[in-house]
Amino acid sequence: MEYIKKDLGSYNLHLIKTNQFKTITVRIAFRSPIVKEEITLRNVLCDMFLQSSSMYPSKRELTIEAQELYAADIQTNNSRLGNYNNLDIYLSVLHDKYTEEGNFKKALKFLNEIVFHPDIYAKKFSSEKLEIVKSTMRSNLSSLKEDGSNYSLLRLFEVMDRSRVSSYRMVGYLEDLDKITPEALYQYYQKVMRSDMVDVFVIGDIDFKEITNMIREVVPIKTVKRQKIPYLLADVRPRSRRIFAKEKVDTTQSKLAIGCRCYGLSSYERNYALTLYNIILGGSGDSKLFKEVREKNSLCYVINSVPNKLDHLVLIRAGIDKENYSRALELIEKELQDMRKGIFSDEDIKIAKEYFCTALDEVLDSPNRILDNYYMMELLGTDDLEEKRRKIMEVSKADIVKVAKKVKMDTVFLLEGDSHEEN
Amino acid sequence: MKKINLKGLDLVAYTETLSNGLDIIFVPFEKKSNYFISYATRFGSEITSFTPSGEKRIYKVPDGIAHFLEHKMFEQESGEDPFAYFSKSGTGANASTSYDNTQYICYGTKNFEDNLRYLLQYVNAPYYTDENVEKEKGIIAEELKMYADLPDVQLETRLRQNIYHVHPRRVDIGGSVDEIYKITKEDLYLCYNNFYSPNNMFILVVGKFPMDEAMSIIHQELDSKENLEKAEVFLIKERKSVRKKQDSFVGNIQVPKIGVGLKIAISDLGQYADLELDLYLTMFTTMLFGSSSLFREQARSEKLLNNFYSDWDNTEEYKTFLILSSTNHPDSLIEAIKEEFSKHELDEAMFNRMKKVWIANEVKMADYIDSTVNNVYDDMIRYHRVIPNKVEVIRKMNIKTLEKIVSKIDFDNLSVVIMNAQEEVL
Repeated sequence: MEYIKKDLGSYNLHLIKTNQFKTITVRIAFRSPIVKEEITLRNVLCDMFLQSSSMYPSKRELTIEAQELYAADIQTNNSRLGNYNNLDIYLSVLHDKYTEEGNFKKALKFLNEIVFHPDIYAKKFSSEKLEIVKSTMRSNLSSLKEDGSNYSLLRLFEVMDRSRVSSYRMVGYLEDLDKITPEALYQYYQKVMRSDMVDVFVIGDIDFKEITNMIREVVPIKTVKRQKIPYLLADVRPRSRRIFAKEKVDTTQSKLAIGCRCYGLSSYERNYALTLYNIILGGSGDSKLFKEVREKNSLCYVINSVPNKLDHLVLIRAGIDKENYSRALELIEKELQDMRKGIFSDEDIKIAKEYFCTALDEVLDSPNRILDNYYMMELLGTDDLEEKRRKIMEVSKADIVKVAKKVKMDTVFLLEGDSHEEN
Repeated sequence: MKKINLKGLDLVAYTETLSNGLDIIFVPFEKKSNYFISYATRFGSEITSFTPSGEKRIYKVPDGIAHFLEHKMFEQESGEDPFAYFSKSGTGANASTSYDNTQYICYGTKNFEDNLRYLLQYVNAPYYTDENVEKEKGIIAEELKMYADLPDVQLETRLRQNIYHVHPRRVDIGGSVDEIYKITKEDLYLCYNNFYSPNNMFILVVGKFPMDEAMSIIHQELDSKENLEKAEVFLIKERKSVRKKQDSFVGNIQVPKIGVGLKIAISDLGQYADLELDLYLTMFTTMLFGSSSLFREQARSEKLLNNFYSDWDNTEEYKTFLILSSTNHPDSLIEAIKEEFSKHELDEAMFNRMKKVWIANEVKMADYIDSTVNNVYDDMIRYHRVIPNKVEVIRKMNIKTLEKIVSKIDFDNLSVVIMNAQEEVL
């Protein structure tokens, strides 16, 4: 695998040459500091890219063209990366040697059509298509509670701190959706194209020179931008008093969502010691939480923890019976305390390191994970795979305990299942 | 070992059957770093009554027992937790139960030989006690509640109950809280002894691993494992008609949902090879309802659907096509679906385009270990063999055969369920 990065002035082009995959994957990543009121607009834009374009007047025609390109896969995705909102447009297509000469070039042209020639007429997006997208999104936003486990997380973040970007709902907001007009969407599209920072990635069996020329042609972005704010959220001290909140829903199971804040982590601690801390606490099928709360006490089926590194958070969730709420909370609390006291073995650390290294190995089996890795190196200055492997092995028990002492339970949210129906 | 070229995919499968009937399938990937092992039995949730080996009477075991047994497989007499064992080498492990099979998997990049041996050993060593069976009930009850709370699951369950009169696919894979509380350790041993026998199981290994070593480990661990005489599982006679054509209920949702099921008796369709029949039927519904269909375009522009999910449910006697969708206009959407079924226009250009797409997708999937595992696994469950020439079979499909099969389908044999949103309480 060979990697080069080229500064094309208005964006960086990252090229990864490998013969490991039958496909070539291209990703265009747009990002700008996140603005709450723009999230819904950006989601709508994401969907509009795939509804139609100036050459393909309907989603059906667009889909047919993708199929004709030997099932080229085009997707868009809007997500948050710390303080930034990141919009990915991604194309994956079989290499010409499995299809026909010129197929990849046509697929690139198709990508160009979708991103740079959307369905705009007289400085407006198609209002017919916009209404379709809004209609689907409206019903999705009205049904958020159907997925209790996700909904409990949305609510946890809001209860925790509404002023922080970590509380923004990336699914968007109904009240913002209603305000979106074909004109406003056009304005926003222009703004993204003009002022978002851009990175372009290509991975596959490619020729660096040839692909660079092709990309220059199909990604005609001209404006130069600079990074304005850091990716990482500001570090804040945990509050002295915990917040407890509840909301009732008509289900049989309750969802417990706990937010812990990490304060004062160094970047080494955040990227390495915290990772191991989390795997041991609740990041695997052999974790302390899994063993204690599920296996020993039969209180739940699902229990796990995940770190949100850019937000300085560790999240713990479990699906429980509401009668077991205090018991589950008590046990979780005890496990957090045990981590601080260093009640875990060298064997646990060794296993967590193995886990981490296997995950690193697996990065290389997926074009998208390889791209993600390079993207994070670019944005956050994270280490490359080899460096990660070396540094994780150096983490000591004392390092993990030190991190454990910086992780404090901050907010406890219970989505309380209040159904009297017996199943 | 028999070598099977998977034509058009740059892959080779190796197969062997032990003298006790256990099938072994290897699909090596030289360029990858990881491996994936699946040890599977053709025992799933739909077997709940059978005549055990050496017995005369029919036993009825509680619903959900296959899934319960899967959970309890992780209990070892030594007290060692298989998850913990695999973790030591950073290896992932899991298990899953379906209507007609259960599999135990592990996947990773290290310690292949020990992990393979361990996987075979722990699945070969059931250890059920009154106490450990009791303990599991609380965990599984939470799992069942988690699924039962999901509106999509409620809708699909209702639809299945309306399609099938007596077939066990009426019942969720996990069973119900009431039923699983009846399970005893004797029930578990009975199922294990009758269905976890070599002639009812197979091992699939995909990825980067030493084939010779793998084969010798499998021989060492499983050559001596014997079969009981086969338990007798009776074909459950299911009537051709759907049980209920029309139904509605109120769910804990804001936007209504609909479910539609088309039940087709295989015997009505004529004589076809199993794989071909599945491909033609899937082609048919892809042309009618797939992402590039006229139906979807029309329904989208009329804002009839928010999302659309469809799949085939395969039993021994029936092929059932299931549609689940969220919609603000349930009646209009159902009308549109019914109309599409009765019109069923088949466009040859689209037929050929879909063939091209399917072949391209087969090639793409062969890039990934997990997709290859799923592909080969499904073929083993459904067709009991590795399919060497799927690309060729797809290429040879012709629209005449499709038309002939479709002409035999009774499009009135539909079951329709509407899940209504709750009235707003002020």
